[in-house]
Amino acid sequence: MNRTPSGKRVAVMSPQTRLARSRHRLRGQWRMPRLDPGDTDRALRAYLRQRRRGAVALTATAVLLLGLAVLLALAPALTEVRLFGVRVSWLLLAVLPYPVMVGLAWWQLRRAEAAEDDPADHRTGRADGHIGRAAAAGADR
Amino acid sequence: MAAGLAAASVVLITLVIGVRGIAAMRTTSDFLVASRRVTPLLNAAAVSGEYLSAASFLGVAGLVLKDGVGALWYPVGFAAGYIAMLVLVAAPMRRSGALTVPDFAEARLASPRLRKLTAVVVLVIAGLYLVPQFRTAGLVLSVVSTTPYWVGVVLAGTAVATTLALGGMRAATYVQAFQFCLKLVLFIVPAIWLVLTAGTSVRDAAVEPTEYTHFPHDTPVTFRVDVTLDVTDPVTAFTQEGAPVALSEGTHHMPADSTLVFPEGARVPEVGGISQPGGPAWERPLLNVAGAGYPLLGTLAVLIATTLGTMGLPHVIMRFHTSPDGRAARRTAAITVALLSVFYLFPAVYGVLGSVLVPDLYLAGATDTAVVALPMQVDTGWQGTLFTALLTGGAFAAFLATSLGLLLAASGAVAHDLAPAGLGRLRVTVVALASVVVCLALFAKHLDAGVLVTWAFTVAASTFSPMLVLGIWWPRLTAAGAVSGVLAGLLASSGAIAVTLFGPGISGWQAILLAQPAPWTVPLAFLTMVLVSLRGRPPAWSMPAMLRLHLAEDRSASRQDRSLTVRRTR
Repeated sequence: MNRTPSGKRVAVMSPQTRLARSRHRLRGQWRMPRLDPGDTDRALRAYLRQRRRGAVALTATAVLLLGLAVLLALAPALTEVRLFGVRVSWLLLAVLPYPVMVGLAWWQLRRAEAAEDDPADHRTGRADGHIGRAAAAGADR
Repeated sequence: MAAGLAAASVVLITLVIGVRGIAAMRTTSDFLVASRRVTPLLNAAAVSGEYLSAASFLGVAGLVLKDGVGALWYPVGFAAGYIAMLVLVAAPMRRSGALTVPDFAEARLASPRLRKLTAVVVLVIAGLYLVPQFRTAGLVLSVVSTTPYWVGVVLAGTAVATTLALGGMRAATYVQAFQFCLKLVLFIVPAIWLVLTAGTSVRDAAVEPTEYTHFPHDTPVTFRVDVTLDVTDPVTAFTQEGAPVALSEGTHHMPADSTLVFPEGARVPEVGGISQPGGPAWERPLLNVAGAGYPLLGTLAVLIATTLGTMGLPHVIMRFHTSPDGRAARRTAAITVALLSVFYLFPAVYGVLGSVLVPDLYLAGATDTAVVALPMQVDTGWQGTLFTALLTGGAFAAFLATSLGLLLAASGAVAHDLAPAGLGRLRVTVVALASVVVCLALFAKHLDAGVLVTWAFTVAASTFSPMLVLGIWWPRLTAAGAVSGVLAGLLASSGAIAVTLFGPGISGWQAILLAQPAPWTVPLAFLTMVLVSLRGRPPAWSMPAMLRLHLAEDRSASRQDRSLTVRRTR
């Protein structure tokens, strides 16, 4: 149990538990999603940019993994070559994909965040442009 | 015995955490604010802690021992899934404010029908994922102590259900993050110890495997499941009491829980359809699904299932909500790739050492226990006992962490999405679901954890993955399209799995497409969604509904702990 500043006792639990216990309180009328015209433009640009960058990153991942499978299928000789006494084909599968995937993830993260940081997109109006945070209390607590 | 104690202590600690919460958490100023300020690193550790199940801890090494080095494609897919999550789902899902896939279904498409259908899919996925967890807990307990299989399964089910029913898993972000560190240490340290202690000859044999054709010493084999041996050279084995058992050429049926001691030098009998550890097929770094050949197709099938399936796992996707905003959710996914990559460097070590030290486990049908069986092969003294205990504790930590999250997700789906008025009480649902899973696990002893879990991934990849991807990136998706696509993917993937389990034996490439149906069920689901959506008209709000998922939160606002959330009112 925990206390909020107001002194009310609040159960401390995982998001899953919180969700499982409180979802019935969340259910309510579904409201039609709305976007301000300015936000629509901003979101559309963000969507197109992220889609383009995401497609590149996904293609790169697919090429890496499928390419590795094809390479291992077409070049059984890799099993004969040794590096530090271990078959190269084993190293290619057991070790190589992980640093490459970490690199890919990092690279895509940078690009996705850079796409979000475009100065042209920064909101000119006041900061309170949320589309709907009516259920924030129920969902977050 | 020590291993049994280790498992018991992990279960007990989890129970205590479940019932009491963590004392440290109760003294921090305000956990609720803290939970929305969870850093991406901490959250990524929690995601990894939730994700690394018994299938990763024990199953992958077991599959390497059984099927060969190609089984290392499974962890590659498990880790690659978070790249897909990072690119396609993490940030928009957080920005939608939806906590679960059923939530997302209603938030994006406003369809209560789709919400119910997705709740059914959650149950299927959770079932396929939970059964191997419980099964592996029972199997490991029966190996490290002498309890029968069913006792372990029932104990595991009771522990998980009690923990959840008594209080859920409180303060779970910290618990799961701690669980990840625990699993990482309990997996890596014994691996290093094994490699260092095993000796030069074992290390050389591990990297230069020879086919397991003859027993190098008198080998007792305890058959954990019914096994049919294919004897090529007649051999006289012995029962544990020393009575001779003559095995003539041909097939011999070995009942579960019987033990035979094979004499030194005898030819190893074959087990139907499995390549012998160390043989040429075993060494090839591609997957031979269902013993059917076509290694490229088999590898592709597992890769598609594991990579795309990760996006739809109900217990994982909920974790991303702990991030304060979409940006942090995306970072969480990226860091998760790195954390999992560290862990997944090590199953290979256990796998190849197992092929040298405990190859007889594949005769016994208990390859999933290879990880915990290894330390005693290297050192029979206190060190071996200690490391067996550590690995057993780690395996139980893995099993518990995943099971708690999954069982809660499944219970939430029943109690809130499927039958909000009927089954009502979450606690009743938890106990009922745990009993069902225990019953299923009692009959699943012969199924490998890695294979069962991959089926859960296949169902997720054929249902939730197309719905999330199209829902987030394609404004024209309609509710009717999503319903028919999810239905098509669910029926096709679970049908193929049912045929594999209960249907006639099929060979060739058809066997692969039945045993690992992702290569056709995923495109089928995508295609159904697109075609049915194109026949209908999306509502006028469809475009803003999609676009708002891509609208970055105002960062000055999110610093004040505000976030975009679901468009629902109380």
